[in-house]
Amino acid sequence: MSQPEVLNQAFELGYTYTRSTGPVIGRFLTELRNRNIVGIKASDGRVVVPPMEYDPNTAEELSEFVDVGQQGEIVSFAWVKEPREAHPMDVPFAWAMIKLDGADVPMIHCVAAPSEDAIATGARVQVVWADETIGYITDIRCFELV
Amino acid sequence: MANLAAVVGIGQTKYMTRRLDVSIAGLVREAAVNALQDADLTWDDIDAVILGKAPDMFEGVIMPEAYLTDALGCNGKPMLRVHTAGSVGGSTALVAASHVQSGMFKRVLTVSFEKQSESNAMWALSNPQPFSTHLNAGAGGYFAPIIREYMRRSNAPYDVGIKVAVKDRLHGARNPLAHLQKPDITMQEVEESFMLWDPIRFLEACPSSDGACAMIIANEELADKASKKPAWIRGVAMRSEPTMYAGRDEVNPQAGRDCAADVYKQAGITNPRKDLDCAEVYVPFSWYEPMWLENLGFAPEGEGWKLTMEGATSLDEGGDIPWNCSGGVLSSNAIGASGMIRFAEAARQVRGDAGAHQVEGAKLALGHAYGGGAQFYAMWVVGSEKP
Repeated sequence: MSQPEVLNQAFELGYTYTRSTGPVIGRFLTELRNRNIVGIKASDGRVVVPPMEYDPNTAEELSEFVDVGQQGEIVSFAWVKEPREAHPMDVPFAWAMIKLDGADVPMIHCVAAPSEDAIATGARVQVVWADETIGYITDIRCFELV
Repeated sequence: MANLAAVVGIGQTKYMTRRLDVSIAGLVREAAVNALQDADLTWDDIDAVILGKAPDMFEGVIMPEAYLTDALGCNGKPMLRVHTAGSVGGSTALVAASHVQSGMFKRVLTVSFEKQSESNAMWALSNPQPFSTHLNAGAGGYFAPIIREYMRRSNAPYDVGIKVAVKDRLHGARNPLAHLQKPDITMQEVEESFMLWDPIRFLEACPSSDGACAMIIANEELADKASKKPAWIRGVAMRSEPTMYAGRDEVNPQAGRDCAADVYKQAGITNPRKDLDCAEVYVPFSWYEPMWLENLGFAPEGEGWKLTMEGATSLDEGGDIPWNCSGGVLSSNAIGASGMIRFAEAARQVRGDAGAHQVEGAKLALGHAYGGGAQFYAMWVVGSEKP
């Protein structure tokens, strides 16, 4: 049976938006511009990075910012053998859960490493800043093995 | 028969052009916290959260309910997002009410919002789709021809809309939360404002606002013990119809008439103008006051404009049935919240808690919202007395 001819039209939809980040995410991004990473203390004492506006247990507003280290430990990772255009690096790299020194929960970021063999759970990494920091999450270009 | 339910807490933000100091979460949170404080309750007292929001494309946050869970204290609780275009604030309140009226939940928080300063409501309202009618007109462009048809049918004088624009802004000047504060507005000022979508002038259209509105709805037992006077829910109704179909009456939609008849029947209302003390009705463009006066049965068809021109709907002129004492959508339009603001302001009136825009002795009030191409309707009647 021949394929019926179906009406078809390319369709793209997009709008421009702005966003106010508020006192917590705004502070985190501003600190990135200053090449500093902050977390926030939750009601159970854990330091959460990136910081969140409201406590996951009590729903109370959080406001106690804590500076955390620029080094940390890989909690888990996934190696990207063949990076695609949208990936942050054009050579093989790892997505990793990184627990920064002084933080109690890991945050996800990319790790530059020479090969999959060079990276492991428990490996120490440190932040690599972008040449120019502007208050975006991309101010952290990546992490590298210590 | 539904169980009794009542509004025991109301919280709003000050409506304004831009709230740059808060995230969307912070804005929504502010209204919710204000409602908890009004009810003298904490997050632990809430059994479920019902969130309302106009189309996701407005701010470009897809599924904002997921992002707002922690801001609204929903961890470990049921949460549900409601979506019926511009009427969403009203239908969200009704979904929250039905959670309590069903007996399944004792006390529910309901919140709705819009951050228009960070959105693209003008164009995201009508996304063009392949092989379907393009309606890239925005809300004003869509409703203007319907208003012109109302003017043709009713032979209403040209300045009815101007009168509504002035009346609602004078009401808004009594309400410190209202976005537009224009205590000195005149008919001449409105008439001289530029024409946006003929016959809708700039000052006959609603503003673009950032804001959120929240309510706490409780069952009879908890409402009886509430710290402040509750607003008892006396009737709830929703109706919908398609945007377009052959023979549809877009000036006086059937769904609106049916919805009003349903909610009046539940509340024992036979003559809305006489039986109700006031109404908060969704009027985003001035001429929708006379149109809805007819659609909601306050006046015979073709005569709604007469009530407006006589001052019947004006607090300042001592009208017998004041409409939109808070200033209405014409004074504040945080789209997703606008319907809920109508419902909440109706409740404020019967709680005797409406400040300088209080209708003295208000016992029974209507809250109304419409959305889409005037195709979604949500209404409730609230009363000062337990039925």
